[in-house]
Amino acid sequence: MDSPSAQPVPQDPPQQRRSAPQRRVAITAACLGLVVVVAVVDYLTGVDLSVSLLYLVPVCWCSWSAGRRAGVLVAAASAEAWLTAVLLDGAPIQHPWVLVCNTLTLGGIFTLVATLMATLQGTQAVLEAKVVTRTAKLGREVAERRWAEAQLRQAHAELQRTQMQLIEAAKMEAVGRLAAGVAHEVKNPLMTLGMGTDYFLQRRASSSDEATLLQDMKDAVHRATGIIDLMLDFSKPRPLRLAPEDLNAIAESALGLLRLQLLKQHIEVRRLLDPALPQLPLDRTRIEHVLVNLFTNAVQAMPEGGTLTVRSAFQQAAGTDDSPAVILEVEDSGPGIPHEHLPKVFEPFYTTKPPGQGTGLGLAIVHRILQIHGGSIALGNRPDGGARATLTFNLHPQPPPP
Amino acid sequence: MKRILIIDDEASITRSVKLNLEALGAYEVYQENDPRTAVHTAREVRPDLILLDVMMPDLDGGEVAAELQKTPGLQHVPIIFLTAIVSNEETQGREASIGGHDFLAKPVDLDVLVNTIESHLED
Ligand SMILES: Nc1ncnc2c1ncn2[C@@H]1O[C@H](COP(=O)(O)OP(=O)(O)OP(=O)(O)O)[C@@H](O)[C@H]1O
Ligand SMILES: [Mg+2]
Repeated sequence: MDSPSAQPVPQDPPQQRRSAPQRRVAITAACLGLVVVVAVVDYLTGVDLSVSLLYLVPVCWCSWSAGRRAGVLVAAASAEAWLTAVLLDGAPIQHPWVLVCNTLTLGGIFTLVATLMATLQGTQAVLEAKVVTRTAKLGREVAERRWAEAQLRQAHAELQRTQMQLIEAAKMEAVGRLAAGVAHEVKNPLMTLGMGTDYFLQRRASSSDEATLLQDMKDAVHRATGIIDLMLDFSKPRPLRLAPEDLNAIAESALGLLRLQLLKQHIEVRRLLDPALPQLPLDRTRIEHVLVNLFTNAVQAMPEGGTLTVRSAFQQAAGTDDSPAVILEVEDSGPGIPHEHLPKVFEPFYTTKPPGQGTGLGLAIVHRILQIHGGSIALGNRPDGGARATLTFNLHPQPPPP
Repeated sequence: MKRILIIDDEASITRSVKLNLEALGAYEVYQENDPRTAVHTAREVRPDLILLDVMMPDLDGGEVAAELQKTPGLQHVPIIFLTAIVSNEETQGREASIGGHDFLAKPVDLDVLVNTIESHLED
């Protein structure tokens, strides 16, 4: 589990902090310079009170920007400069102590202003710092909460997945028990029927009607057996026999099995097979079974002919968790699958075909076989009509659910 | 004439198999419907081959086979299991065997049954 990424706390870059004393010195020097300028102006204008107030400008500036000590220094310098300007002005001084008093008063006022300014600035700095820390803390809290939420969501999704798997496993177990029970109860009577039919088939039938009837009975036994077998294989698949296989080659042999059907129905086969497919660990017989089922569905969807497209490709990030995967697509030019049917097509015994033509187990078995291979299947419609089945084989298969 | 013993709890099955095999004229078939007396019957019949149902009440096919295997004179009698709860797909290929014995999925076609019996009687 990854921890919440630490929120950067906004603060002055270290370089700027290191040059702060220098900055203070520079400001102090500039302010002292300004004091001299004001003093010169003061002297030239004959030491006027309104000009004397200009001394407050460098005092304020300095104490605000360079701190109290620099401010007091500039305040003292200002008082000193004022005194100098007065003395240089050369006006007759009646009472030297008044001059001293004035200097001290001015110096006092300047210092007071400097102190006030510095205090004000300090308060603001503290406030600002507080705001910065609060913002940082808030940011951290928000990030933490987001992370916790993401964790929760993930845990929830995992829980849901596990639950689905458990339900699936329970369902499969129930289906398995049911299948075994049904198999036992149905296949034993079928054995009697089959043997009985065989007995009469062995003796020469007295009429062709009788022979036909017997053969029909035999076929009926086979059909019923086939359905039970499908159910058994679906519920209790035999262990996979995995070997490195070329998916393209399996697709070819599955197409080969349907050659006659494809010819009869005037179905054109388009092969868009990627020659550079990596080999996959597959149970060849069962993947062939999967493809025969899908091709059969496609063929049955195109009774008037059409195009069957088989496309394979290697994709870097198509698999589970964006892992590399091999994709195989089977497309037809039939009517496609109505939107409202899509969620049901993988259900066992779901079929829209007339009785006797479809068991509705085809796609359920396909789904199951892919599942135990650690792959997946999606069924949808092409934008320009027709159905499309997309098989995904993870290159590094996930362990199949129990 | 080769002697074949068929053990299955369903009489209709043993009967139909017996009639079929005997109609071929090459076998003498004995039937047994109670797994608990199967070994006793086998000792009396001394069959050349045994057809044995897997799912039976009281004693299943595996247990009966184990008993037979312990009985002097019956150790080398080939056994073909018949079972209803596997699919045909599972019975195909060489690995389709229980404890070294062949097995066939019910319902079994007569020609498949005869072929399997013959292949065991040959060797
Ligand atoms: N290529 C397709 N085009 C249109 N509909 C399809 C296609 N493939 C499947 N379907 C629909 O999905 C249903 C279920 O398919 P599935 O293969 O499971 O059973 P089925 O084909 O009806 O019977 P079975 O495969 O046992 O012969 C079909 O009855 C059909 O309605
Ligand atoms: Mg189908």
